[in-house]
Amino acid sequence: MTTELFNEEFNGIAGQLKSFILRITASLHDAEDIVHDTYIKALEKLHTFRGDSSLKTWLFAIGSNLAKDNLRARKRWPENVTDICKQEAHANPAFFEEAFHISKTSPQAVFEIKEHIAFCFTCISKSLPLEQQLCLFLKEVYEFKVNEIAQILDNSEAMIKYYLYTGRAKMIQVFDGRCAIINKEGVCHQCSELNGVYNPKQRFQEEVMKIEMAREAENADKEHLFDLRMNILKALDPFESDAAALQLHHLEHNRNVMEKYS
Amino acid sequence: MTSTLTMAQTGKAVTEKKTFSRATSVSTDIKADPAIIWKLLTTASDYTRWNSTIVSLEGKIAPGEKIRLKSTLDPKRTFKLKVKEMDKKKRMVWGDAQGKRVYTLASKGNGETTFTMYEKIGSPMFPLYKKYIPSFDTSFEHFAADMKKEAEHIQNLKK
Repeated sequence: MTTELFNEEFNGIAGQLKSFILRITASLHDAEDIVHDTYIKALEKLHTFRGDSSLKTWLFAIGSNLAKDNLRARKRWPENVTDICKQEAHANPAFFEEAFHISKTSPQAVFEIKEHIAFCFTCISKSLPLEQQLCLFLKEVYEFKVNEIAQILDNSEAMIKYYLYTGRAKMIQVFDGRCAIINKEGVCHQCSELNGVYNPKQRFQEEVMKIEMAREAENADKEHLFDLRMNILKALDPFESDAAALQLHHLEHNRNVMEKYS
Repeated sequence: MTSTLTMAQTGKAVTEKKTFSRATSVSTDIKADPAIIWKLLTTASDYTRWNSTIVSLEGKIAPGEKIRLKSTLDPKRTFKLKVKEMDKKKRMVWGDAQGKRVYTLASKGNGETTFTMYEKIGSPMFPLYKKYIPSFDTSFEHFAADMKKEAEHIQNLKK
């Protein structure tokens, strides 16, 4: 493969890779660094790429390994990360000052409920063991097959299936207990609270019913609701979406809170 | 495992009673990679999700480590067990002074793995307290059935 062709292919994949790394690391700065390092490393090793896997699989393998190195020494986040970070935000006047400034000045600061659903999943998925989180995103959002994920993470298909199954089961259980959109008994109402803050003229119940996951909450089984949640993430690029600036600010806030949390 | 302990049909527990000991065993064929079964067997934090016989299991399942187990057989009692042996994807032994439990996995070579769970309890004082110990048969059968169901679900995950 020529360098020119590689550059062209890399540019076509870089957006997905960056969004994946962002969702795994929850850090804009680390995502940019890791994507850059992936490019450099891939270029150095281009002569070793034999086409046993697709280039996309190969690049995601390099990026995943760099992300794993980045996260190795860091603690996983607790399941109630959004509760903890909400408390910290309320105690920090600068948080909402910055958020309102972004909402007034950035073209990518239109708060949308579905974007917060995607943001929330990114945060709560960091409560899973890293292997489970990686597998879940690679399969459910970036639509790699089990054998491709096995190549990306250098593990057996049996273990990838185990991580997918148990990671998915855990996330279904967590969201069933927390998410008031899919379960009236859910303890988390952040989507409606933040929608009330950023879109005070909207009626939350009307807005949320535009989202399929909410419409089907009463009748659908939990597996299907999880699939619908994943569809929301699949459809959103956290860098290109209408609320990207706002959600990246929230993510950076959560990451800072978690760095200090013990 | 005593040579006189015979395996009944797949999934059915068998108990052998002696004066100073009692041994129960169950065996089932599972259509799953041994790596999946082993992972289920050795991930303590995940047991209560798939195993209906376990009320709680705390600790890390690793050689020399101690775990704290509560079973539906006697939910008020916490068993403090030591992980005595681990031979990856083949055999694990845990136990205390009163007894030991042995798990074995044997690949049949056709995508099937035979999972066996065997437990022997006993002591010189066994005749005095054995009447207070409930039968393990049903619990063993449920354990094996739960393991089979969960491992095969994972194995059959769509690619």
